[in-house]
Amino acid sequence: MIAKSLAIDVLNAGLETGADFAEIYLEQNNASFLMLENGKTESALSSTTYGAGIRLLNKLQSVYGYTNDLSRKGLMKLATSLAKSFKGERLLTVEKINKVRVKNVHKYEKPLSEVSREEKIALLKEAYDVMSNYDKRIVRIQNTFLNSRKVVTIYNSDGKRLDDFKERGRMAFVAIASDNGKIETGFEGPGATGGMEFFTAKISVKETAHHVAELAIKMLTAEECPSGKMPVVIGNGFGGVVFHEACGHSLEATAVAKKLSVFSESLGKQIASPLVTAIDDGTIPNGWGSNNIDDEGNKTQRNVLIKDGICTSFLIDSFNGRRMNMKANGACRRESYKYEPTSRMSNTFIAAGKSNPEDIIAATKLGLYAASMGGGSVNPATGEFNFAVSEAYIIRDGKIAEPVRGATLIGSGADILKKIDMVGNDLLRAQGMCGSVSGSIPADVGQPTIRISEILVGGRGGVLK
Amino acid sequence: MNNKKFFELAKKKGLTATEIYSAKKSSLSFELFHSEVSSYSASDSFSMSARGIYNDKFGVAITEKVNKDTPEVLVNEIIANAKVIEKADKALLFKGSEKYQKRNLFNKEIEAISIDQKLKNLYEIESKLKQADPRVVEIEGVQYSEDAIEVNLANSYGLNLKNKSNYYVYAASVVVKQNDEVKTGYKVLLSNDPKELDIDKFVKEVIVDATRKLGGTQCDSKKYPVVLSPKTAASFLDPYLESASAEEVQKHSSLFIGKLNQAVASKKVTILEQPLLKNCFFRYFDDEGVATTNKKIIEKGILKTYLYNLETAQREGTSTTGNGYRGGSKMGVSFVNPSIKPGRLSEADLLAKVKTGVYISSVQGLHAGLNPQSGNFSLQAEGFMIRDGKIAEPLSLITVAGNLLDLFLSVRDVANNSELQLSGITAPSLLIKSLAISGK
Repeated sequence: MIAKSLAIDVLNAGLETGADFAEIYLEQNNASFLMLENGKTESALSSTTYGAGIRLLNKLQSVYGYTNDLSRKGLMKLATSLAKSFKGERLLTVEKINKVRVKNVHKYEKPLSEVSREEKIALLKEAYDVMSNYDKRIVRIQNTFLNSRKVVTIYNSDGKRLDDFKERGRMAFVAIASDNGKIETGFEGPGATGGMEFFTAKISVKETAHHVAELAIKMLTAEECPSGKMPVVIGNGFGGVVFHEACGHSLEATAVAKKLSVFSESLGKQIASPLVTAIDDGTIPNGWGSNNIDDEGNKTQRNVLIKDGICTSFLIDSFNGRRMNMKANGACRRESYKYEPTSRMSNTFIAAGKSNPEDIIAATKLGLYAASMGGGSVNPATGEFNFAVSEAYIIRDGKIAEPVRGATLIGSGADILKKIDMVGNDLLRAQGMCGSVSGSIPADVGQPTIRISEILVGGRGGVLK
Repeated sequence: MNNKKFFELAKKKGLTATEIYSAKKSSLSFELFHSEVSSYSASDSFSMSARGIYNDKFGVAITEKVNKDTPEVLVNEIIANAKVIEKADKALLFKGSEKYQKRNLFNKEIEAISIDQKLKNLYEIESKLKQADPRVVEIEGVQYSEDAIEVNLANSYGLNLKNKSNYYVYAASVVVKQNDEVKTGYKVLLSNDPKELDIDKFVKEVIVDATRKLGGTQCDSKKYPVVLSPKTAASFLDPYLESASAEEVQKHSSLFIGKLNQAVASKKVTILEQPLLKNCFFRYFDDEGVATTNKKIIEKGILKTYLYNLETAQREGTSTTGNGYRGGSKMGVSFVNPSIKPGRLSEADLLAKVKTGVYISSVQGLHAGLNPQSGNFSLQAEGFMIRDGKIAEPLSLITVAGNLLDLFLSVRDVANNSELQLSGITAPSLLIKSLAISGK
């Protein structure tokens, strides 16, 4: 996006006042969004994000700025103004830049940027047909298709230039069911780094659509969820959002480096039940949260965060790594050039255990089966979290009984990890968007079916009997 | 980009009307951690959203890349997008209102204060936080940021509206520890008037927010009379008012369907929208170029109006209420400066009305735990027991569950302690007849 000679000049302008590291992150992201309301294309949008972020580091201080004026004048002005916040002498000068080869591990059989709007709409309509024919009580259906092609170039004062690109796509299905003044919704949002083949061959759009419609109707007729402390079995796939929120965020260097996380001092210590092994893997080919390189140019890695209950690793970016005296492990991410990058999750999941999911249910006398989860949030300093359950049933005498709606799971991460007393063998990953300091980024969550021996359930249905 | 060039090219290619909405933003922010500037950020950005009507349908294209090819790229994308639109509504662009209540609320004083002075304020906040209470074990960060935004809405009918605004934010967050219990507290000050920063008051509020949570327990799970803090009341007001959107009503997703001129809240509740209020959220035209007006949405519990943009108004053969705002990819319906009209009693008076109950100081996880379509919510909350009309022991990790419509219908009283939240919503404390609380 800019000439090498300009990059060298900009880096050197940034280094003038004593910064020990300088980086230019250039990005162009072309996205397309299509939305169908009740089977009719209601909105079609194209967007281009385009700009550069400049980062200067000086020991434990960072300076960041961005612009979408990529002319020599625009970039030099930004670098010079950022450099003003340091008051030292120049430590280094960039003489030359060498291109570092970035290996692309993702396959794109039919890149989404080359698929016509009409073809995507036809697929959305297939989903709509399934949903609208499912039940008359489904009153509103939304189907969306979002895809983007992001091209990135990174230059830094280590004399490196890295070029990468990625294409991602995600469909979303929403069914809103209404009866007697009650309204309930069903949602699924499958996505991947990859091409159209993910939606036409890897997953079944019709099955996903059917499940969403079924869920909305099921919840419409469900009773209010009881409240209080109880054993909870959390289903595989998106159930992994519990680990993501309750534990994953607290293992990010963003919180750990400043000792603001409950796990800051936990390396090598038992923080979870011995049944728990948890992994963040940014290398999975075509994974929704995968990247060839992270957003500061390091190769992504498979990081084992917890092994048999022992905390074995954090997610580390190079800047926070300085404070921790630890090396970066490919976990530095950002939404776009408008964000200073920091340590974030990619595809994060609890590894498969040994139990059959049926046996986990059968071993539970009275409790809640949270078959699928909604979103949630966490306070990394206290580890306190909350999650909405989007599909839930009461477990009675080891069997899945009546559906219940409006359940929330509340607890603290450190406590809940120790209370995982059964781990299934049915690991599954699911897609989500993770929001934090460096913006909203695609991330996979995942887990097999697990049981938590006791957790606080919020709901409006009184005491569980 | 030259707007005129774009309008002309669009006309030549068969677009009947076009619009450019551009926003120029400059931001500055810095943060202190352990008495050092740990981050500093400065940025300038520009984005342009172009809409055009082709065969009576809208196409939309947004870009941040501006060069000589931009008009052509935008026109081509608009046409390609418009071609796939199937909805029945005829696309409309606005020719202009008769009168606009334009006001310049851009405050030059914000930029005029030196960066050194702004940094000094942060150092002072940090050092005062450290000394304020022995239980403070960490200051998570003390931040300052300021934004200036210039928007321009122009269309091929000759409408050309501009607005320039700015604001600043101070934020601080502390960790307190007592025995093994860890709690956090924070405070955010948002304003466009530098005189509003009172460092001692700010510091005190951060400390109180954290320390008053210590010693937290869980209460018995049952229904309690509840007092909502101004912040909590504001958290509920936002999703509640989504139901006033004509878009939601027309799509069967509103709690207010068929409720015009009927009770949707208790008699104690009056809800206003005041886009012309002189604060940093001020808007004199909406995103479609329509002049905004102050209005009552709910008066003494009765729903007085739905909120319309051009399209939703056209569907019902009525006029827009000046509530067209961009939400993601499309022109939706939204509101600016909404508030619950304050009552006469103080918060203490409200508490005095409750023998045993729960005071909710904040709720978390609204994006997942509250469904604006059904109104059902089940949320993580923190607060205090109310005993004999007074705040008693703190409560943590409790949940509060209910339904939005029921909640506003069961408001027993409204206090006079209105506060403007970061979200742009103003609300006072509310006394609610009862809500389900889970704890033990």
